[in-house]
Amino acid sequence: MTSEVVITIVTIIVAGVGIVLGTAIPALSEGKVAQKALEGMARQPEAANDLRSTMLISMALLESTAIYVLLIMLILIFANPLLDRFFS
Amino acid sequence: MDEVTAHVVFEVFGIPITDTVTSTWMIMVIIVFGTWYLGKKAPVALEMIVDFLNDSLSQTMGMNAMPYLPFLGTLAIFIAAANLFSLIPGISNPARDLNTPIALALTVFFSVYYFGIRKKGVKKFLRELSDPIFLLPFEFLSQITRTLSLTLRLFGNMISIELIVAILLSLFPLIAPSIMAVYGAATGLIQAYIFTVLSSTYIASGVSVIAPDEEEAADLASA
Repeated sequence: MTSEVVITIVTIIVAGVGIVLGTAIPALSEGKVAQKALEGMARQPEAANDLRSTMLISMALLESTAIYVLLIMLILIFANPLLDRFFS
Repeated sequence: MDEVTAHVVFEVFGIPITDTVTSTWMIMVIIVFGTWYLGKKAPVALEMIVDFLNDSLSQTMGMNAMPYLPFLGTLAIFIAAANLFSLIPGISNPARDLNTPIALALTVFFSVYYFGIRKKGVKKFLRELSDPIFLLPFEFLSQITRTLSLTLRLFGNMISIELIVAILLSLFPLIAPSIMAVYGAATGLIQAYIFTVLSSTYIASGVSVIAPDEEEAADLASA
């Protein structure tokens, strides 16, 4: 096996495992955020607007970690910087 | 991947103009003439937009958002309109090119300094920025990383939706991509809200004073 093949195989495995971990963990924590916010809204309906905007902001901040993982995996798959080192 | 990245339409004096730039111009024309038309026909609609932005931003900033509304409202309306009008064929979403989110986030980065200096003056702003002097590098670091995260959040959301639509288009070209595109527009509206609210919190942290106890007490007394 040449080094390009090894790097490609490792990249594919890393991209698959990484996208699973990097989206599952933020999704779990976002579910936790939504659960707590809904509990708060049910307990105090008058604070619902405040809670909703805070929930949206914190969910976007959590979501962005998943987006970072996605970007890195896109770079790894479509524009792998390590492959150029061996092709040139 | 080639369908998603921006491609060059024409060149002006060697500067490549991509299709995201031309669609930005189209969106600018649509926003300007749409606002002019709405202002003539139904000014109440414009007032509703301004009131909605002012209310939600004042709530998140914890102060009157009216001095910062021209900047923040422009951000919100531009990102939202860019997402909605990118559903029209021929207009591509400007935020799918990395340069547009970078430009927007850099305006936010500099506006924090601009509004802070305008509110407090150069001397007071610098003194409060470097209040414990050993925390000054971390302050700069946090400002740079939050600019980067603003950029990547907008760009990553937009490019992921465009990628999903492109992949669906190659699998089922008939109906499924349009449903996903509408979902992407809804995501884009949420992203416009998030971008604006985060910018407003950054600006609020730039213009707020270090010892807020007396002012908070005054605000509470007046409210």
